[in-house]
Amino acid sequence: MVLADLGRKITSALKSLNNATIINEEVLNDLLKEIVTALLESDVNIRLVKQLRENVHKTIDFDEMAGGLNKRRMIQTTVFKELVKLVDPGTKPYVPVKGRPNVIMFVGLQGSGKTTTCTKLAYYYMRKGWKTCLVCADTFRAGAFDQVKQNCTKARIPFYGSYTEVDPVVIAMDGVDQFKKEGFEIIIIDTSGRHKQEDSLFEEMLQITNVCKPDNIIFVMDASIGQACESQAKAFKERVDVGSVIVTKLDGHAKGGGALSAVAATRSPIIFIGTGEHIDNLEEFKTKPFISKLLGMGDIEGLIER
Amino acid sequence: MFSMFRGLVGGKTLTESDVTPVLDKLKDHLIGKNVASDIAGKLTQSVGDQLKGKVIGTFEGVTSTVRKTLTNSLVKLLTPGRRLDILRDVMEAKNTGRPYTMAFCGVNGVGKSTNLAKITFWLIENNLRVMIAACDTFRAGAVEQLRTHTHHLNALHPPEKHHGNAMVHLFEQGYGKDAAGIARHAIDFARKNNFDVVLIDTAGRMQDNEPLMRALAKLIMVNEPDLTLFVGEALVGNEAVDQLVKFNRALADHSTSAKPQKIDGILLTKFDTIDDKVGAAISMTYITGQPIVFIGTGQTYTDLRRLDAEAVVNALMS
Ligand SMILES: Nc1nc2c(ncn2[C@@H]2O[C@H](COP(=O)(O)OP(=O)(O)OP(=O)(O)O)[C@@H](O)[C@H]2O)c(=O)[nH]1
Ligand SMILES: Nc1nc2c(ncn2[C@@H]2O[C@H](COP(=O)(O)OP(=O)(O)OP(=O)(O)O)[C@@H](O)[C@H]2O)c(=O)[nH]1
Ligand SMILES: [Mg+2]
Ligand SMILES: [Mg+2]
Repeated sequence: MVLADLGRKITSALKSLNNATIINEEVLNDLLKEIVTALLESDVNIRLVKQLRENVHKTIDFDEMAGGLNKRRMIQTTVFKELVKLVDPGTKPYVPVKGRPNVIMFVGLQGSGKTTTCTKLAYYYMRKGWKTCLVCADTFRAGAFDQVKQNCTKARIPFYGSYTEVDPVVIAMDGVDQFKKEGFEIIIIDTSGRHKQEDSLFEEMLQITNVCKPDNIIFVMDASIGQACESQAKAFKERVDVGSVIVTKLDGHAKGGGALSAVAATRSPIIFIGTGEHIDNLEEFKTKPFISKLLGMGDIEGLIER
Repeated sequence: MFSMFRGLVGGKTLTESDVTPVLDKLKDHLIGKNVASDIAGKLTQSVGDQLKGKVIGTFEGVTSTVRKTLTNSLVKLLTPGRRLDILRDVMEAKNTGRPYTMAFCGVNGVGKSTNLAKITFWLIENNLRVMIAACDTFRAGAVEQLRTHTHHLNALHPPEKHHGNAMVHLFEQGYGKDAAGIARHAIDFARKNNFDVVLIDTAGRMQDNEPLMRALAKLIMVNEPDLTLFVGEALVGNEAVDQLVKFNRALADHSTSAKPQKIDGILLTKFDTIDDKVGAAISMTYITGQPIVFIGTGQTYTDLRRLDAEAVVNALMS
């Protein structure tokens, strides 16, 4: 899973502190080097990585510290707090409310997995007994409506879309209106892939949000993304109110560190991860338990007092 | 007279401690530009090896010498030894009475089908007839996606303008069928109906997914495409390395042929989404030694370019 591998490397690096007889600047530098390498290999944004290294250096002042154990704990705690910052934006995700319409809009780069994940999420809520549906507001990508239609038909999810209407804003508005009238609780809007360099696409996204007033906007990221993620995520957040992140394609080899910069840039938590092409390949992601699991991997549990 | 000055302006021998700090900075710089970290390390190290013990003029700074050396190696890396001339190869195949075949493979969502459509457009603009083989029989809407492109492309080049011949034909057998078999039928059909090129679309797959990689290897082995293109997106980070290594390995390992086909070239998509973070181009060529045949620069049919090595290296070093 995401970061699990990364977590393992980092915990083992942290544990190696316990074997060092003296804790000095050199030991700290070696440790940081190991951690920085692991983070960069996992595609974590280089600016965030450098920041982490600086923050640790700032906090750990060897001249002011006394006592070996203390130093060890200080270093471990500081590194861990910095790592937690990467995954935990400190904000709570939107929680849908039963008995009223919850409009959830998907946005993201081309091919990141929006359409697939829309169906997965609809299926997830449907199985939990919510009245769920999907609106296909992608009129650009060839075969987009067929993709939604086939996915939804197979899973028996009600859907709305059009082969003839070319304006995604109109479709989104009509679809959401209709489903609201019919008393649907989870209304998911799929949109076209877009990127910050093409302003008309961002403008279109804004217009859709203006007419549909989504309760939550989910930014979908591919786990294999590298250093370009941060500026894209930031641009999405600047234009619309992204509230959650979903990282897809974590069934592969990718560690998902690049997608993490979406958490920092949008100040939004990861709520689900995609782990395959099938409709049930969606796992809930909860930041806090994830972190404690990461902590649990070493014997440094309890390092972070809450 | 001049010898008096030699000591002053004469050379300085570069040592490891001169170049290492510069290289460390450059390595981070490359990583920031989205070169896979492992490859950024190898590239800077080889620059270090080239420079150690070299004498430079006093007025030549260490930093600029290192940068120049790295720039040169990057340009060299991106400049293919042999230039692939697809149009010529198509004509050659045509002369022997068979269609030229090209397969598109890669992980999910990178742009295989869209860029296949762009290449179709380029080919029909060159007056070649194209058969598209719909061998993604898995992903919902995959066949309809290609059908939509086929309609659009035929509308751009209507049969009336081409002696009544449809320039693009979609060969499909729906979903759930064996991809290798569909490709084979498509090629047969193309040969019988005088198509010049067959473009084989395949389903996206993760490089670790063994059954799917095996199926791809079979498709390639059975159909022996003239060109197997790996489609990768410029957005990808460190995974670029693992993807290419494993796609290549799968084609070799799962083939029963004595001389298995590997990836012949790379199509790098979504180049318009990365600003100056062009490092994936470096990672991918470094790993395969294969040329980047095309880059995708947008979502319309004309958004297909050749890679400009100098421009990419400028973006990298800026
Ligand atoms: N292996 C794997 N593949 C996935 C996952 N999520 C999506 N995909 C695949 O990724 C590809 C792209 O997915 P789509 O849902 O079409 O992506 P999209 O963001 O809607 O694409 P556009 O609408 O063109 O921007 C498809 O082949 C999906 O099957 C995942 O978690 N794992
Ligand atoms: N901005 C940009 N988008 C691109 C480019 N090439 C493809 N895309 C978009 O990327 C998305 C995915 O493209 P597809 O062609 O469906 O990708 P694929 O690899 O066939 O996907 P699967 O078959 O599901 O694995 C679509 O929204 C395309 O429009 C490009 O060069 N630039
Ligand atoms: Mg989509
Ligand atoms: Mg495709």
